[in-house]
Amino acid sequence: MTPHPAKTKRFTERICNGGKKEKEREICGERAVFISLTGAGRGRAMFLLEELHGSRVGPMPCYSPIGRITKLAKDWRLADLSWISKIQVNHPAVLRRAEQIQARRTVKKEWQAAWLLKAVTFIDLTTLSGDDTSSNIQRLCYKAKYPIRDDLLKALNMHDKGITTAAVCVYPSRVCDAIKALRAAGCNIPVASVATGFPAGQTHLKTRLEEIRLAVEDGATEIDVVINRSLVLTGQWEALYDEIRQFRKACGEAHLKTILATGELGSLTNVYKASMIAMMAGSDFIKTSTGKETVNATFPVAIVMLRAIRDFFWKTGNKIGFKPAGGIRSAKDSLAWLSLVKEELGDEWLKPELFRIGASTLLSDIERQIYHHVTGRYAAYHDLPMS
Amino acid sequence: MAATRAGPRACEIFTSLEYGPVPESHACALAWLDTQDRCLGHYVNGKWLKPEHRNSVPCQDPITGENLASCLQAQTEDVAAATEAAKTAFENWSQLPGAIRAQYLTSLAKTIQKHQRLLWTLESLVTGRAVREVRDREVPLAQQLLHYHAVQAYTQGEALAGWEPMGVIGLILPPTFSFLEMMWRICPALAVGCTVVALVPPASPTPLLLAQLAGELGSFPGILNVISGPATLGPVLASQPGIQKVAFCGALEEGRALRRTLMGQWAELGLALGVESLLLLTDTADVDSAMEGVVDAAWSDRNPGGLRLLIQESVWDETLRRLQARMGRLRCGRGLDGAVDMGARGAAARDLAQRFVHEAQSQGAQVFQAGDVPSESPFYPPTLVSQLPPASPCSQAEVPWPVVVASPFRTAKEALALANGIPRGGSASVWSERLGQALELGYGLRVGTVWINAHGLRDPAVPTGGCKESGSSWHGGPDGLYEYLRPSGTPAQQSCFSKNFNYDTFGLTVSPTLPAGPEIGPSPALPYGLFVGGRFQAPGARSSRPIQDSLGKLHGYVAEGGPKDIRGAVEAAHQAAPGWAGQSPGARAALLWALAAALDRRKSTLASRLERQGVELKAAEAEVELSVRRLRTWGARAQAQGHSLQVAGLKGPVLRLREPLGVLAIVCPDEWPLLAFVSLLAPALVHGNAVVMVPSGACPLLALDVCQDVATLFPAGLVNVVTGDRDHLTRCLALHQDVQALWYFGSAQGSQFVEWASAGNLKPVWGNRDCQRAWNQEAEGAGPELGLRAARTKALWLPMGD
Repeated sequence: MTPHPAKTKRFTERICNGGKKEKEREICGERAVFISLTGAGRGRAMFLLEELHGSRVGPMPCYSPIGRITKLAKDWRLADLSWISKIQVNHPAVLRRAEQIQARRTVKKEWQAAWLLKAVTFIDLTTLSGDDTSSNIQRLCYKAKYPIRDDLLKALNMHDKGITTAAVCVYPSRVCDAIKALRAAGCNIPVASVATGFPAGQTHLKTRLEEIRLAVEDGATEIDVVINRSLVLTGQWEALYDEIRQFRKACGEAHLKTILATGELGSLTNVYKASMIAMMAGSDFIKTSTGKETVNATFPVAIVMLRAIRDFFWKTGNKIGFKPAGGIRSAKDSLAWLSLVKEELGDEWLKPELFRIGASTLLSDIERQIYHHVTGRYAAYHDLPMS
Repeated sequence: MAATRAGPRACEIFTSLEYGPVPESHACALAWLDTQDRCLGHYVNGKWLKPEHRNSVPCQDPITGENLASCLQAQTEDVAAATEAAKTAFENWSQLPGAIRAQYLTSLAKTIQKHQRLLWTLESLVTGRAVREVRDREVPLAQQLLHYHAVQAYTQGEALAGWEPMGVIGLILPPTFSFLEMMWRICPALAVGCTVVALVPPASPTPLLLAQLAGELGSFPGILNVISGPATLGPVLASQPGIQKVAFCGALEEGRALRRTLMGQWAELGLALGVESLLLLTDTADVDSAMEGVVDAAWSDRNPGGLRLLIQESVWDETLRRLQARMGRLRCGRGLDGAVDMGARGAAARDLAQRFVHEAQSQGAQVFQAGDVPSESPFYPPTLVSQLPPASPCSQAEVPWPVVVASPFRTAKEALALANGIPRGGSASVWSERLGQALELGYGLRVGTVWINAHGLRDPAVPTGGCKESGSSWHGGPDGLYEYLRPSGTPAQQSCFSKNFNYDTFGLTVSPTLPAGPEIGPSPALPYGLFVGGRFQAPGARSSRPIQDSLGKLHGYVAEGGPKDIRGAVEAAHQAAPGWAGQSPGARAALLWALAAALDRRKSTLASRLERQGVELKAAEAEVELSVRRLRTWGARAQAQGHSLQVAGLKGPVLRLREPLGVLAIVCPDEWPLLAFVSLLAPALVHGNAVVMVPSGACPLLALDVCQDVATLFPAGLVNVVTGDRDHLTRCLALHQDVQALWYFGSAQGSQFVEWASAGNLKPVWGNRDCQRAWNQEAEGAGPELGLRAARTKALWLPMGD
């Protein structure tokens, strides 16, 4: 629900006239309003907002550092970002947790098979190579529609559950190919496109924004953007926020997945901060990495991002999705990722709207494991169709 | 296609995404029990001992209640047989070169590696603890322990020259324990050349399995003997002639009782009591990571006990919210399930927890329980107790497994006060992202182990122990080795036990002293009084005691000290202690050297006074000179204290700190009135302690001479000397709860009394039990033993990374 422009104007006028230290600035059009308020002024602003919308506006801040964020429909307002610099993540403790979490939860037998099938529905089946052409995109899309051999699914009594991967993920120039192939296969699996100078993000903002718009025009409904790492490394949180806001606007109705490229952020504390900024700026998902850095999706990084997602949910009531990507190749890995999300965030995050796994070769390993579960034998290479 | 093996439930699980059972097969554990015909005896002298006509106790699966085997209960004869076997084995084992013992320990490590599945399934099956913890942590740690101590045995000849193995060690283990507790103690004992008799509670087969694995390595039967029997057998084992040291771990009251039973007897006693741990959470901490620390400490089957959680008030709400959310994700279940956090520990542990929680509730506490817990009876859910009134009985009592008691604090100073106000001093962790604050708290806590931003890390190279009521024995690292060593050449500890000893009357009253004639006067004249709080004060009793010289003539009068004077002296010492402990080692050394110089100037007076006590002039001069040298020697040793350790699997150092004990009471021997006084004073001071001393009863005048220089050089109250009736003063000191350690050199009766009385606050007691000590010999008068006794160790873990 978007406030009426006229109403927004009146509202801002009322705040400016009524408060002492209050100021307001518009960031990107009518959808976002930044308000910097202190003390009593904040309480009154909340009241005015309620009046404006005719209903209670989000939960009041739970506690001080992040307290100034509050919710207005789907937009976020925040006062200042100074609290961001106070966040601390203890690196060795997170490493220990990451080690433990892999040893403490396992699933076997039917549970394993069911979890693996579930993992299939989380996969963003990805090809991001220089030599992608329409033929391998077509093969990829077909595999996305039929991820597991039908007789195996029948044996598990799962053939009528419509198991497909969550999306296919390609370069912007291959979006058209993907859409054509999926249409030919007769399904509506969403097409995700990477954008904004993937994977380095070192191009001009203007071309990066244009890239998003073109991908959306071509029909991509999910956009994986990379952030500008230099803004994180130099601590320019506000600039980072502004940039992601612009990505958000350029996406329009498409889902925005923000790739943090955690392998290049320097520290876990930076990962937490960047996650928070990305979520405040309106990302639908935060994603670990491009798959092109030297260090990709690792458990310690994931733990920090998941904790940021939970904190954000506690403070604002909004659930943001999580997407690990890069280096997830084995079925066993995928199970560990599922239990990681289940442990840190809970079952409500285990659905394709809130959890994705970016992977290319993972699917074939999962299929092999399912084959083994069903038949009791290990599959040969030629037993399963390639993607 | 092959026949389908899939169950019908896949689609349900697909929707619910629940966890399933991950059972670990325990077939090999059962098969091992079958080899014993499901009847376990004892493992003595390299073979199974299954005597007839013994009671047997069933060994049950704590979760299903299924009978796994029956265990024979030992009787006194069995204990005696085991001790005899260990004694025989000791003669050979202790004489072997360290390299051979190292080889043996290494091959035991390899054996454990080869049979680890049997070990972990058996342990998890009978204790009910999560198999993950046993498999991934304890079995590897057991191997590391053996490897570490193999190295120690190999280098023993050089590194521990001047020390020799004590003899046969009696090990007493509590009703619920991990087999690792046994490993921590047998590894150093075996490494240095001791042999072991371990008394394990009934129905604990893992130690027996370990003994069998060790025994089957052949060639050294009898070095590790395991007998299982009831707790009442503990004192029987401890008082077996030939047992030189008893290592006890278990509950506080049992340890206290054992201390009283063993006073004056052969065996030295090392206590490791209590299981509670502490976690300090400041407002700069990474709270989510700290919550994992809480889980590690209380709800992961790692520690035997519960946790006391101190949270800074400003993050109280946030922390409790996170903790409660985290608790909701814990899983309890059968220990042999590979995906549970917490198993069950049998009815006794559950009842204990239940009682504690009910009492806390009735005293006004709030209780929160959560987690995925099976409803059957042996399980007890993870429990968080908060809002417990600070003065309620529960807030002082030890927190049992699996309970966490949370309480708030306002500032770091208050956190220290609260934490140090707990009578136990086992382990603690500090969570803070500010280095300065974390170190301040880490150094300030009076506990044996401190982890910064971690909890429950262990390593064979790091000493683990405690202080206060947690006992003062150590395992792991160098300190663990010294537990089973004594300086070469010292005779085995003598028994000075007298059956008809009356504790109520020992030293209770002082026989009145009358004037013994006019004072001819020591020359030059001594200031009269007790040296307390930096000056000479009149005694509370306002009476004096005559001191005679070697010819039986009156040498002079000294003040007659009493309980009030001891109280005043201990108070004065407590006031001086923090300032002295805060001084740099260099500053302490400088003052000791200044004292040495002052004594040197007083040389002729001191020598003449000694002469009057019947010492030949030459010998007297030598004694004074040696005393001066002792002060200089200890001063020079001030710098070499504590060091950092590197451990496997941790990035960052572990500091082994040597901290002062606090207020140390010293009752000096009658002989060597000057040298013994100085030899005891110097190590105590140089390690940062404040002291209350009772000088030689025969000739306290020399000590008072030294005090004249102490008065001008040292801070007031640091050294206090109380003269008077030795037995009476000893009684006052031994029964004083706020004296942290007691050294007693005197009569057999006195030794027996101080060992009995010190059970009150479990202060470590060291003495000679009526054996003459050659104070003029370097080894006995200034050996490393004194340095070891004069300070306590603390391990400070500092994980790093960014």
